[in-house]
Amino acid sequence: MAKKVTFSKEDEEFFGKNGSFGVPKFDMEMNGGVPRGFTIIAFTDTGSGAELFAKQFTSPAEEPDNTLYISTNEGQQEIIRIYEKYSWPLDISVRTIGEEYNSNVLEKQLLASRYRLEGFRIDDIQKLAQTRFVDDSNQDYLTEVTNEVMALDPYFRVVMDSLDFFTQREDPSRVIGMIRMLQAHTQMYRGLLFITVSNDGLPPAVKQELSQIADMVLSFKVRTIGTDFETSMIVSKFRNSPENLKILVFRVTPDEAITPETVERIA
Amino acid sequence: MPSSVYQRDRCITGIHGMDEILRGGIPYGSTVLAAGTCGSGKTTLGMEFLVRGALAGEACAHFTATEPSVKLLENIRQYAFFDMNMVDTGLINVFDVDVLYSWLGLDKASFDLDDVHALIKAIVDIVNTIGVTRLVIDSVTTLCYKIKSEQLIRDFLFTLGKKLATLGCTTILISEITSATENAHWSSFGVEEAIADGIIVMGDVERMGHLLRFLQVVKMRGTAHSRAKHAIELTPLGVMLTPMLKWGSAGEANWGG
Repeated sequence: MAKKVTFSKEDEEFFGKNGSFGVPKFDMEMNGGVPRGFTIIAFTDTGSGAELFAKQFTSPAEEPDNTLYISTNEGQQEIIRIYEKYSWPLDISVRTIGEEYNSNVLEKQLLASRYRLEGFRIDDIQKLAQTRFVDDSNQDYLTEVTNEVMALDPYFRVVMDSLDFFTQREDPSRVIGMIRMLQAHTQMYRGLLFITVSNDGLPPAVKQELSQIADMVLSFKVRTIGTDFETSMIVSKFRNSPENLKILVFRVTPDEAITPETVERIA
Repeated sequence: MPSSVYQRDRCITGIHGMDEILRGGIPYGSTVLAAGTCGSGKTTLGMEFLVRGALAGEACAHFTATEPSVKLLENIRQYAFFDMNMVDTGLINVFDVDVLYSWLGLDKASFDLDDVHALIKAIVDIVNTIGVTRLVIDSVTTLCYKIKSEQLIRDFLFTLGKKLATLGCTTILISEITSATENAHWSSFGVEEAIADGIIVMGDVERMGHLLRFLQVVKMRGTAHSRAKHAIELTPLGVMLTPMLKWGSAGEANWGG
């Protein structure tokens, strides 16, 4: 029997049916924001501004301790710098898996390469002779992240930037399975889940399946016009609201970060 | 009458009865396969070999792959010959093979050629750096499980043995076998016994409803030795070897007298 989650009237009034994208003009274009319970998947081009949008998505942070930003590429310092720059809340939870992976896995691999290439020094041997147990730091980040999101309270807001970390290291079916689980959980808990995934190297079958699972599909594009760049967002899926399908050209302003400039309807 | 026969220097095992079987000990730098069935006393024999070396001031190393070193040391502490100070002071260096694998990035299901070379280099490095003269690998069977090709196992054992011999390190490779009968193989993969300089077989024989442990030196390059079966007693004082049935030729009859 499906698990039931009850929501208090106060919470329903406080959170409302829709949440903000963190971009007021975008909320307006999407007729009031993003419906609670939505999973948004953003397919991104390099340099298209998706990382900034991902951070901006956390900025409404209705409940900072129920808002989680998971970064697989950036470090804590860089993330804090951006949040400070745009005066976004700094009291949300941030997990930097890229940093954790570097210290837990890559540093270990580097050390192993040194031992294999240069051999053991006397102090290495002494330490080895005193080490009785394997430092089991081979973490299953996919399971960890899934559990971390599943442990959040209703009306959570989660950003995962980006899924590439997992698609490049894990079996695609396992990653899809995790996204399915998170989508169902997000829907049940009326949360908001925003996931970025790079277009480069993503198998078409995986892309298609992710698009099917998502309630909203965004594509972040960048192209050159003369000597300038034009960045745009394409809303190619918005569950039960086809009127929201649009192409939005946007720019980055010092005050509002990502700001749509022109809008073209595609449906 | 002075003998003109060249005698190789010996690594005196110090194990009661063993040096007499080997006419003075294991020739230095030999790689000896100690093949035995479960519970036949292989680990104890290996550990006592190291302890006797440590007592003589030699640097010793033990690579344990079959049980965690913590457990190994706890089990071996019951023997009077063992003193934990030997480990604490670095005379006996005990290495957990799974820790070594982890350090070398070898925590995987199977090894390729590079991995095998990395493992040999690491063991040889350790032996060379701390001047190990007695080494026990317990067990070589567990190490070889990850090497999928017979040729690679052969290369691994041959290269390791050669390098350790160059360094003057006498090595006991413990091998797990399921049967120690006359027709049995003395190694799990069939190649260890051909490469080793010596083979010591350990097993059980049934006598009047009791299982008696036995040890038999089948092969030992560079020395004459008894090939008779000897009973092993694992006493608190260590391994005790006594002739089991009859004692070889007339010249050997005074052994242990």
